[in-house]
Amino acid sequence: MRFLHSLLPSFLVLGAGLAQAASSWGFDDAVISVTGKGGAGSAFKDKLSDHVPLAKPVTLGAADSLKIVLTATEAGAAKRPHQAFLLVRDQDTGLEATFPFQVKESGKGKVDFTQKDLPIQLLTSSQPLRATLLLASFGSTQAFSNHVFNLDVKTDPNVPLPKYEKPLRYGKLDEIHHIFKADPKSGPKIISLFFVLSILATIPVLFGTWAYLGANISHVSKALGTAPIAHTLFFGSILAMEGIFFLYYTNWTLFQILPPAGVVGTIIFLSGTKALSEVQSRRLAGER
Amino acid sequence: MRWLLSFLLLGLLSVVQAVSSSGNKLLVVLEDLAEKSKYSKYIADLEGRGFSINYESPKSDKVALFELGERAYDHVLLLPTKAKGLGPALTPKLLLDFINAGGNILLTLSSSNPTPTSLVSLLLELDIHLPTDRNALVVDHFNYDTLSAAEKHDVVLVPRPDAIRPDVKNFFRGDGKGGDVIAFPRGVPQELGNTSPLLTPILRAPRTAYSYNPKDEGEAAEDPFGAGPQLSLITTMQARNSARFTVIGSAELLEDAWFDAKVKRSVGLGGVGTDAKSVKTANQAFAAEVTGWTFNEIGVLKVGKIEHYLNEAGVKSNITNPKIYRVKNDVTYEIEISEYSWDKWVPFTPQAGDVVQLEFSMLSPFHRLPLTPTTTTKNSTIYTTSFRLPDQHGIFNFKVNHKRPFLSNLEEKNTVTVRHFAHDEWPRSWVISGAWPWIAGIGATITGWVAFVALWLWSKPVPLKLTTSGKKIQ
Repeated sequence: MRFLHSLLPSFLVLGAGLAQAASSWGFDDAVISVTGKGGAGSAFKDKLSDHVPLAKPVTLGAADSLKIVLTATEAGAAKRPHQAFLLVRDQDTGLEATFPFQVKESGKGKVDFTQKDLPIQLLTSSQPLRATLLLASFGSTQAFSNHVFNLDVKTDPNVPLPKYEKPLRYGKLDEIHHIFKADPKSGPKIISLFFVLSILATIPVLFGTWAYLGANISHVSKALGTAPIAHTLFFGSILAMEGIFFLYYTNWTLFQILPPAGVVGTIIFLSGTKALSEVQSRRLAGER
Repeated sequence: MRWLLSFLLLGLLSVVQAVSSSGNKLLVVLEDLAEKSKYSKYIADLEGRGFSINYESPKSDKVALFELGERAYDHVLLLPTKAKGLGPALTPKLLLDFINAGGNILLTLSSSNPTPTSLVSLLLELDIHLPTDRNALVVDHFNYDTLSAAEKHDVVLVPRPDAIRPDVKNFFRGDGKGGDVIAFPRGVPQELGNTSPLLTPILRAPRTAYSYNPKDEGEAAEDPFGAGPQLSLITTMQARNSARFTVIGSAELLEDAWFDAKVKRSVGLGGVGTDAKSVKTANQAFAAEVTGWTFNEIGVLKVGKIEHYLNEAGVKSNITNPKIYRVKNDVTYEIEISEYSWDKWVPFTPQAGDVVQLEFSMLSPFHRLPLTPTTTTKNSTIYTTSFRLPDQHGIFNFKVNHKRPFLSNLEEKNTVTVRHFAHDEWPRSWVISGAWPWIAGIGATITGWVAFVALWLWSKPVPLKLTTSGKKIQ
């Protein structure tokens, strides 16, 4: 019996590995064919072997349909197995699609599929898909499983692939770092400095012009002689008010400057009345 | 009699044993109390872990999941029944209410007892699909037990599951040595909807497995309900409130017979296992892990203290958790997370490749940053991160939304106001070079004004000079 088995080609491989197996599943006359649209002209046809995969990957174009016809055998005799599956596996991700054969009582089975029947994930695989044939049934008969061919899916470059949206799964999300608005920037300092200097230059120009026109403060002694307190306080408190403004600019708050500003303002008002009366008296005396 | 004694002993033990993180009241629903003996080891395990168990038949009028509107039990174990339905006390709606109230359910199916339609519809609602043939079971001609199912191939032997993703913790790997075999006898496979992130399979069928109806055994499997790893053998659903629902496709997996059984695998794909030895199943340990997960004994996270504070220029502010910050403040956030492991809280460490993330969000996140563990206490890890608040004022949340398969959900939200710069917090004008000409302008004006006041007060008129034409010049 064993001698007979070893004569059957389909048992060569399995027989080597599983010398003890009483019987096992296998197949005969397996033909794989790829036909173009409308069945016009067989593009590809080959015989499948049960122990070595086809040397070259089978190419499946966008409009092609792949068909495998085989006869399943149990211990060499044609028989229908319960499980006759072609598994097509994406070698990147390990995802696998199953194509069951339509098997008749006689053990003759066929399976055909096109690109449309493949899940989108397999269409986009970077490597050829690995096709494994499974023939198995209940009982103790050894099941058959072998890598039979590689499938190279050629998608139509003109037709966009169906969109695959990754379903929501809980996990780490992408990091987000807020993008801050850029800080405001000033122009080159040299330009600012140029304008600072040209503005400051107006002060000597102003004083010079006044001096040329005969401006003077020769009446200081006269004014101080007539109303010393009023003039000192008036001019001094005007300077003090500027000082308060400077403090407000540098570090005081509004409520800090209001009391001194009130005091200084009152002094300006009271002393100003006197000081300006003195100025008026000089004008009335024709000295202005 | 012996087991009764050990029950008593274990019952006493359970007083000192710690229990699940969410209570120990367990309801076991089974057809007949006599069936209890089939699961004696499993039940002894449960009692040994501190569960106090009530047994009820679905027909009994005492069985009620709720009492006065409150959950009457913390966990429910549904063992297969022969009845077509589970009766008015266990309708799908009540079971869902139970989940919504935070209760955990462990559901077991069996191909010998067709699943009641009420349960099928409950599962459908959760996007778990059972085969349409009510007797369908999963077979594998490559990974079956040659000792008990040499003919029917319906005792599928499965290795311990791998982690579903590299970044997901695997609670079901046992001691991790490998070589463990789980016997999955006559189980009902499930298919899972692809859209729900709440569903996670614990155990999937091997590549070569498929579902079939034993009633049409003569025919070939030309249109199986499902095949390969698409079929889930043990499925979990963790609701948004972290209530857990697990479907074990084979109730027999929990039986004493399969806890002790010796199994010997068949020859698998590519000749694997040609010289398989008979080994003891890992069902007992695996069942404990699956049950422990379902009843909140493992994979439960808890948040302890949350702190956030101002941390400008490396100086930690003494005020923790202020209600208000300013835009562009430097802030540090700390969160303390613990994980429950069977009977105690332990420091939580995410799986390699995974990370706890903090979001700083107003409607949508402005920042999503990884939190790094800094300190570990006896039973918690403190995660922290420092960052600069965005330059946008408004009401923001510090949000830790940690949702991972097999871990209970953490959702922590701390609301703070982020105000804009106050008028005195901007850089002063003298540090802005563009403002210098204006400052100089004010200086020039003041100088001119003070000088003018002096002139006005004290200027002496110059004598009038007349030109030859009689016009006056000054």
